[in-house]
Amino acid sequence: MVYLLVLFVYPIFSTLLLSLKDADGSFTLHWYADALTGVNRSVLFTTLRISAETAALSLVFGFVLAQAISRLKPLWAGLAMLVVVVPHFVSALVRTYGWIIMLGDKGLVNETLAWAPGAPYQLLYNELGVVIGTTSMMLPYTVLLLYGVMRGVDRRLLAAASSMGAGKVTIFRRIYLPLVAPGLASAGLLSFILSLGYYITPALMGGPNQTMIATLINQQVTKENQWNGAAAQGVILLVLTLAGLLLVKAVTSLGASRKKRSAT
Amino acid sequence: MMELRKSLAGRIALTAVATVILLFLALPIVVILVTSFSNNAFASFPPEAWTLNWYKALFADGSKWPAALSLSALVAALSTVFSLIIGVTAATALVRSELPLRSAVFALVLGPLVIPQIVTALGLFLLFEPAAMLGSPIAIALGHTVLASPIAVLILIATLRGIDERLEDAAASMGAGRLTIARKITFPLAAPGMIAAAIFSFITSFDEFYISQFLSSVDTVTLPVQVYNSLTFEIDPSVTAVSAILIAFAILALGLVALVRWIGSGRQQSLLSVENTVGVANPGGEAV
Repeated sequence: MVYLLVLFVYPIFSTLLLSLKDADGSFTLHWYADALTGVNRSVLFTTLRISAETAALSLVFGFVLAQAISRLKPLWAGLAMLVVVVPHFVSALVRTYGWIIMLGDKGLVNETLAWAPGAPYQLLYNELGVVIGTTSMMLPYTVLLLYGVMRGVDRRLLAAASSMGAGKVTIFRRIYLPLVAPGLASAGLLSFILSLGYYITPALMGGPNQTMIATLINQQVTKENQWNGAAAQGVILLVLTLAGLLLVKAVTSLGASRKKRSAT
Repeated sequence: MMELRKSLAGRIALTAVATVILLFLALPIVVILVTSFSNNAFASFPPEAWTLNWYKALFADGSKWPAALSLSALVAALSTVFSLIIGVTAATALVRSELPLRSAVFALVLGPLVIPQIVTALGLFLLFEPAAMLGSPIAIALGHTVLASPIAVLILIATLRGIDERLEDAAASMGAGRLTIARKITFPLAAPGMIAAAIFSFITSFDEFYISQFLSSVDTVTLPVQVYNSLTFEIDPSVTAVSAILIAFAILALGLVALVRWIGSGRQQSLLSVENTVGVANPGGEAV
């Protein structure tokens, strides 16, 4: 435990201190002012935008896939879960490289779509490429989370509503959706948070307009020796993440109380 | 949901969409495996001809890959040892004793898993830079341990909770000392969990990029950093072969974990089954 205090808490603490220190060691907020203006501000917005797009897409895909898997027979469901889980343990770098091969001008996707008008499509080094990449990285998380939530839904509630004459759409909207909504919210938030600090995929699959905050931190440290600025951006990233985590926690406790209420 | 959409068309549509999403997850990996044997290693698919050249090039003279591979293996081995030590002590403390501030300790353990890795990496850089430890394999291993040890702790907590304490009580009632119990009962039952924790720690460190990137120097480049460099600066077709090897490695590791788990569950069952035949087991108390 002391280990984590020394090598995890202390470094983050010193990052915080560094972000507040001026060149002569006095207290300053100007690194934060720098981080929130000009180019840095637009990078921050790009980060939020790409993370939101990623979260939305991985939520939709995750919902459909988890839905389909939860209706499969155990053997098939197990195989499908294997396809979801195994990529998660393959290095993100390697999977990103796989996407670069697939999305190139002569890649699998463009070769398959060669008949379509306007082909080959530009699928790399733009925002589309980045979002495809990050979505595939976040998808295992949302599928696993939503699958767990869907398995936890009490089928008797749906049957009860149906026996009282509710139609499919009504059941879905009034019973099923409210029960899985907290799970959807936390899955979406989680993939948003995880995308915020992402670096590999945006750096390799994006263009200059897709620079994300993590890329900037890396550049400032390794190329410009601008540690204070990097520290300030790190702290901003950390605060955003913690805010997201608090939201996840709030949503989870809301979900737990809702489930209890519906079961009584 | 089963009651909701029973129409055949709906089912077919859902299955089709789900298949496409599964392909979305699996294809990047399949494409790398196939391309690593292709004569044209750059973004051309499907391949026109097959070759093993990229694998041979890995070990050619002047190749940077063997050095990167051995550094990564060394760092991963070190950080596996560190993670296991932390994992065993922390998990034992969290499961078996009444710890003050238990939830704070637990939050500390989970912290590195949710905090952006780039922030952790930056903090570690600021810690090791003044100590002139940049590029040292030990520094990189210590850094990786920050990420790997929480996973080890979580796995070992689950393992210790899964061990039926009645087995330890039974041994104690027959006069076994604490050391004997630990050596003959707890350790054999926890061993599969420890192996799983070791495998996950190893692979976490082996694949780690952010911390390695910040802590490495020109002479000490880990495998993922070398892969990243080959994708950004120098175009090196061998990177497909390396990627394919990394994929095989990950699948092998997962297979090993599954095997170890399977053996482990058998072991506890066989110990408990003695009890069952005597007829004293309570039906609800079966261990998992």
